[in-house]
Amino acid sequence: MPQRETEQSSWFVDEVLPHEAGLRRWIKSRFSAIRDVDDLIQETYSRILKIHESGPIPNPQAFLFVVSRNLAINKLRRMSLEYSPETESLDPLVLADEMAGPFESAVHQEEIDQLVAAIQSLPDRCRQVMTLKKIYGLTQKEVAAKMGVSENTVEAQIGIGMRKCTAFFKQRGYKTRKSR
Amino acid sequence: MTNIPSDYDEDSPIEIAASEWLARLDRGLTAEEQDRYTEWLAQDAAHREAIGRYLDDWDDFDRLAGIHLKHHARIDPDLLVSESARVSKPRSLVQNIALFSAMPIAAVIALMFYFDVSAPEDTSGLKIQPALELLARIEERALEDGSVIEINRESVVRTEYSDSERRVYLTKGEASFDVAKDPDRPFIVNVAGVDVQAVGTMFSVKLSADEVDVIVTEGIVNVKPSALSFGAEQANTDSYLEIGQRARVSLRSEVPVVEVTSIESGEIDVAHLWRPRLLDYDEIQLGDLIGEFNRSNPIQIALVDPSLAEVSLSSSFWSDNVEGFVRLMESSFGMEAEWRGSREIVLREAN
Repeated sequence: MPQRETEQSSWFVDEVLPHEAGLRRWIKSRFSAIRDVDDLIQETYSRILKIHESGPIPNPQAFLFVVSRNLAINKLRRMSLEYSPETESLDPLVLADEMAGPFESAVHQEEIDQLVAAIQSLPDRCRQVMTLKKIYGLTQKEVAAKMGVSENTVEAQIGIGMRKCTAFFKQRGYKTRKSR
Repeated sequence: MTNIPSDYDEDSPIEIAASEWLARLDRGLTAEEQDRYTEWLAQDAAHREAIGRYLDDWDDFDRLAGIHLKHHARIDPDLLVSESARVSKPRSLVQNIALFSAMPIAAVIALMFYFDVSAPEDTSGLKIQPALELLARIEERALEDGSVIEINRESVVRTEYSDSERRVYLTKGEASFDVAKDPDRPFIVNVAGVDVQAVGTMFSVKLSADEVDVIVTEGIVNVKPSALSFGAEQANTDSYLEIGQRARVSLRSEVPVVEVTSIESGEIDVAHLWRPRLLDYDEIQLGDLIGEFNRSNPIQIALVDPSLAEVSLSSSFWSDNVEGFVRLMESSFGMEAEWRGSREIVLREAN
């Protein structure tokens, strides 16, 4: 008899683990300064499990790449406390290329609709920044380059965007969520 | 979305400061900013609450990573604009379904009768009343002793547990039982005067108009006329069933007559198609996936355009989740769903 409680672990085995080899290769080639790749992967896994517990993740592979990349960049920053954007020379398109071809996920739930609707409710520039940040996983610097605006503008739009998203959630009554 | 304070004001100084810190944290703090941030956090619990909320929500948006790959790989800052027309379009079907699936089973059953009476098959172009109750998920009822019953749609099961026995009444439809072992308390399914008794086993029971059908998938069960209905004397005729055996009990004679036959594993699969299973495919054509749903459910899905059947997708759906599947086709695959008759949903490409 199917046990729905085991969905989380079977989801992990089916949707996440198959990407580990590719993810490891990718981290090694992109972030050679990071020694403990396993550690980074574990951190990424714990993040994906936490997020998955409270709602759906339509494209787990993309999530893995985006989140591990963010974590890697943070690690590198901590290694050289003085933040220097120049240490990253990532092509904004790289991530999209790394995440293999068109996929169609059958995972779909209200929560994804809510997040999408929140971004759609934003003023144009805010919406573009949030789209490039969260769907494409670009860094602020890459977003600025892509949109032809200053990095300060991107940073400011993120603050505005998140305040407006919160107001949107509140107005729609999405006040609470299963706490993580 | 984490708990948003009821007096949330997006223009308040704390919210502005917290959201700005979020943006700085995302790009990476300088050493000087790191000091100021620590200081700001220490100043006020409200600061910590606000930034914690923004950080959680910020992470939450990571769910959207890569959803663009469904459509195209080119970076498009206006991605969500082109999709908005589709996502925000009214979807009355979905709203209705969501409403129904949230209802407790009793309400669903009540509605079923309502629809049966008021919604004859209709092909004249008048408003069709779809059999929405058939879209409800299969009920999986966990009992206090650890036994689990899967109850098919349009089926009614009632449990009566006592110290000496665990008695379950199937009064309509079919159900599958995964019984927790308890030698001191036999597990007995009573169906139309027939007792199906198990001690730690898996079996399913189906009640039709003039027949009870029992299939054993694990362990042993005993099928016999119930002493409650026919007296102790008639209840003496034990029929033990093992794995791979099926008992057909005719209800036409005065006292139920049990006929035991053996069945092939393929037949078990067919008889259990209604039970939820995970349709888990890395890659499957839409036509094949719909075939799986149609084999498992009374609601049938049809594709208007045969070329849609060749669309390739990945699936991790429970087979009884027709509603979720149709909803996805509408919101993410650019399709429109429409009822044709009361038991058929037609999918077509949205205009």
